[in-house]
Amino acid sequence: MSALRKLVLGETWALPLGVGLVLALGLVLDAAFGDDRWWHDAGGFVLLAGVLVALSVSLPRRGSRDRT
Amino acid sequence: MTAWALIALGAALSVGLELLEALAIVLAVGVTRSWRDALLGALAAVVALAVVAGVVGPVLLASLPLDLLRVVVGVALLLFGLEWLRKGVLRLAGRRAPSNSLREYLEEREAMEALPPPEPGRADWPARVVAFKGVLLEGLEVVLIVAALSGGSQGAAPAILGAGVAVAAVIGIGAVVHRPLARLPESHLKYAVGVMLSSFGVFFLAEGLGVHWPGGDAGLLYVAVALVAVSQAQIARVAAT
Repeated sequence: MSALRKLVLGETWALPLGVGLVLALGLVLDAAFGDDRWWHDAGGFVLLAGVLVALSVSLPRRGSRDRT
Repeated sequence: MTAWALIALGAALSVGLELLEALAIVLAVGVTRSWRDALLGALAAVVALAVVAGVVGPVLLASLPLDLLRVVVGVALLLFGLEWLRKGVLRLAGRRAPSNSLREYLEEREAMEALPPPEPGRADWPARVVAFKGVLLEGLEVVLIVAALSGGSQGAAPAILGAGVAVAAVIGIGAVVHRPLARLPESHLKYAVGVMLSSFGVFFLAEGLGVHWPGGDAGLLYVAVALVAVSQAQIARVAAT
């Protein structure tokens, strides 16, 4: 089971949590602004920014001694 | 056409790299124990994977509305792609050992040699189980990635073509082993696959939520450029800490 969990969710909880938050943000914004032009034209960049933040947060921070 | 080619390339690279890892395990079992038991274990895993593919593919492709399918595909690709990208950043920053199927092959060989040999005439169950588990776990990721890429706007053709090319290439490498395994820049290739899968993930997720990418399929390219720029900055930051 741990091998399967690692296969699907990876080695850190930060990434699946980050992806979940990006999905939740996208669903909320789509529900709130689904008919607005800004969401239709620029929503992808909002999601991309969320993904880039999720990636950055999942990496070791300054001073961390984590050598995975 | 851009998306079609990128999906085929992404499928070929990700499937090829996963199959190389499975190949390393099967070769190690075959060389140290017995080829018959290694191939029996691998074959059983292939049958199990065919069953999974027969369930996952049709469920994903046929039973979900198109927008929901794109959201599911996008999230699945992001989960795989970002994990590959995170590991790629750590490897290229020197914070994780480089990916190397030849090293995995040698380590697996050493582990198999440490096991007691089977009694003469008896089945070598440890060898079968190691080959089965290795092929099943690597193959499961292959099935999920190909199924996710098949659910995109370009249909299944580019993903299946890319996967087919990868299977042929890995079988070719298996026939001559050792040197090609040692020469492959696996860490860089896995980093590139992470960028590609993550790009498809963001692209499909946004499309599933009704978002239009300026430039259509060309959106994949600038999404990939953004991922490369941020991950390269992270490589420099992590390497400096």
